[in-house]
Amino acid sequence: MSAITTIGALPLLIVILVTTLELGSLRVVAARVRSAADVAALVAVNDQDDVELERTGRLIPAADAADVARSVFAANLEPIAAMLATTPVAIAGGASVRVDAAPATVHISATVPVRTPVFGALFFHPITDIAVVANGGAR
Amino acid sequence: MHRGEGGLATLETTLMITILVPLLFAVIEFGDVFQRWLAQESATVQVARYAAELGGDAPEVRALLDDSLRRSGIDPSLSTLDVTPARVGWREPLTVTVRTSATVAIPFLFTAAIPLRTTTIVRGELAR
Repeated sequence: MSAITTIGALPLLIVILVTTLELGSLRVVAARVRSAADVAALVAVNDQDDVELERTGRLIPAADAADVARSVFAANLEPIAAMLATTPVAIAGGASVRVDAAPATVHISATVPVRTPVFGALFFHPITDIAVVANGGAR
Repeated sequence: MHRGEGGLATLETTLMITILVPLLFAVIEFGDVFQRWLAQESATVQVARYAAELGGDAPEVRALLDDSLRRSGIDPSLSTLDVTPARVGWREPLTVTVRTSATVAIPFLFTAAIPLRTTTIVRGELAR
């Protein structure tokens, strides 16, 4: 009897297993997205305006800091591009990037759509959005 | 309990074990792979930042990677580190890739090595 119960419950157990695996995978992708945004903010804020630094000694982000942030963000999303619902360039292009001169900081906020086929099959949720916020300050 | 019933219970238990044990181990083993992937990802970011500050590949960068992996329970001797290009100047792009592999062993089903590859792209921060 217990063997029949186990075999009967097998589909449920497999659903639980694949959901757990997809959740784990989603957590890894979310960590990757977070570190991509962190690295982008740090690299962009370190892109200092050399002329201003020499003239006044003040740390001010370069004029292209926002573009640098977007390109580094997109480059770091590239290794997980297959898991994303849109291209890294489109995600980085749609990200909100704010560059403040004083104090020299770069803020990135983005929504990253991730493919979740198992969630799609089970819960009609084929794409899960990951919201990410990253801040970098010059030192 | 009759002799036949005892045999049936043994058969049922065997069937249950061959189904439930692989499922349980799949969750545990893949959980371990995800944990290793996260640890490797974090180590790669730290190593990339350090490599950017040192201007590229250096023994100190490799030592940091070995130390980070070891602290995460990953054998550094089984890892490979690629820093491309080996030397960079101010604002030049630097790609750091770490490769390891994790073994997944599911009883009654399979044992496989899963390659884990993590990449971080930064820019050279060596003083102008």
